[in-house]
Amino acid sequence: MSFFEKIEEPLMSVGEKLNNNKILQILRDSFMLAFPLTIFGSITLIIANFPFLSDLIGAEAAGTLNALLGPASTATMSIATVFLCIGIGYYFSKDKGCDPIFGGAIALAAFILVTPMEVLHVTEEGTELIISNVLDINRLGAKGMFVGMIGSFLAAALYCWTTKKNWTIKMPDSVPPAVSKSFTALIPACLTLTVFLVIRIAFEFTPWTNIHDFIYEVVQAPLTSLGSTLGATLVAIFAVQLLWFCGLHGQIIVNSVLDPIWNALTLENLTAFQAGTEIPNIVTKQFIEIFTVGIGGSGMTLAAVLILAFICKHKQLRQVGRLALPAGCFNVNEPVIYGLPVVLNPTIVIPWIVAPIINVCIVYFAMASGLVPLTTGVTVPWTTPIFLSGMLATNSIMGGVIQLVELAVVFVCWLPFLKSMDKQLLKDYPEETQSA
Amino acid sequence: MKKILLACSSGMSTSLLVNKMIQAAKDQGIEAEIWAVGQSQVPAEIEKADIILFGPQMRFLKKKFEGKAKELNIPIDSIAPVLYGRCDGAGVLKTALDLIDKNGAK
Repeated sequence: MSFFEKIEEPLMSVGEKLNNNKILQILRDSFMLAFPLTIFGSITLIIANFPFLSDLIGAEAAGTLNALLGPASTATMSIATVFLCIGIGYYFSKDKGCDPIFGGAIALAAFILVTPMEVLHVTEEGTELIISNVLDINRLGAKGMFVGMIGSFLAAALYCWTTKKNWTIKMPDSVPPAVSKSFTALIPACLTLTVFLVIRIAFEFTPWTNIHDFIYEVVQAPLTSLGSTLGATLVAIFAVQLLWFCGLHGQIIVNSVLDPIWNALTLENLTAFQAGTEIPNIVTKQFIEIFTVGIGGSGMTLAAVLILAFICKHKQLRQVGRLALPAGCFNVNEPVIYGLPVVLNPTIVIPWIVAPIINVCIVYFAMASGLVPLTTGVTVPWTTPIFLSGMLATNSIMGGVIQLVELAVVFVCWLPFLKSMDKQLLKDYPEETQSA
Repeated sequence: MKKILLACSSGMSTSLLVNKMIQAAKDQGIEAEIWAVGQSQVPAEIEKADIILFGPQMRFLKKKFEGKAKELNIPIDSIAPVLYGRCDGAGVLKTALDLIDKNGAK
């Protein structure tokens, strides 16, 4: 007990630093910007790829439906980096007190400015054609995500810095405010974009020929391949559980660091899913949200809530269980975390930490072995109830089935500990017993 | 009319409490406006509030918004974990009203 009290203070300060960090906060808000759009794209993608659809309406009709609905997800999810750039530019400028809409526009222009504007196309005969005046959708999504993030922060910082330097064109008072505003952004915009133009030109002379491939190879690919390992995922899950045990919002804190990696992995899967090629990554944002948080909230407590509500005999525990059950079905579980409580409760620390770790291993290996399909990259809100969320995230009933397996594992892990807690309470406060 | 703002990561778990607090206020005949937001909306919403309370899991937000609260001269605190766990609307309402009174008395 005293050990946990001792580590609470440093954990609190880590949580505060990560959650309240400006850069990470801007990044988090920027990812949220595209959320309603990706939900729209996800819905159309789920409809177009409904399991057994081709058996139901015929392969040709299914193909037509797919082609008709395809642009909806392309315009939203596939170009997620575009929204990320606008978001970073906007929120960064807003935070610095500069006109945010210009910040957003400049960040987007800067990103496009360093993006290759030609695509290599190999014809069926094997001839290589270079098609110019096009942007590769993939670079506006998964592959360009880290260039977009880094570039937008740089662009927004340059824009705000030059604006603050007051290198702006001052208009007389008689000029309408909207007109003078557009001139205020003139010099900062030109300077910022000049820097990016220079970056583009400079990279023409490197082996990568563009900054996209450079950042992808040197930063994004190593980070995402590290982030997609089982080891890294277990460390993340352990950190989440430990933080929650000290009563701090584990996901928010850990996600601030890992979201860029998990989101990039998700987009890679999505791109493959849309193209009908093999899906590459086991660990994605959906793996984390749907197969850990989706089992009743942080710490996968739905099974624990069921035990409390229906198996425990002590009135207090039953009350906690029944109070927590409705919200728990939608993966909100603060009532059990603070009501049982989980926080700083040595009786349940073992199942609290062990069950999620076992479950992450189970899902990981079930996916690695092909028993359960990988997440398709479709966005499923974390508040979606168990079974449904797993099915939607993997486009397969097996995704729901493995969630039920997880539920059972949590049940088995928690049962002895909750029973002993129940017994102890019955012994200490027998008058509050309620007949089963 | 007391305006009580609750905030957590996305306003999800605090909204559970909001309903209970509104009910408690109604029962006691207290006129209060109570609402919950996610942390990103706090800067916009804090201006309209007489008090801001955070879910205990996001209690590090207190440090972040302390300056702003002081500037607006409103109390800022995190909700007691026990009250939060029990979803004790009446208890949190009382905490909020006490803090507003104490702040007004200063």
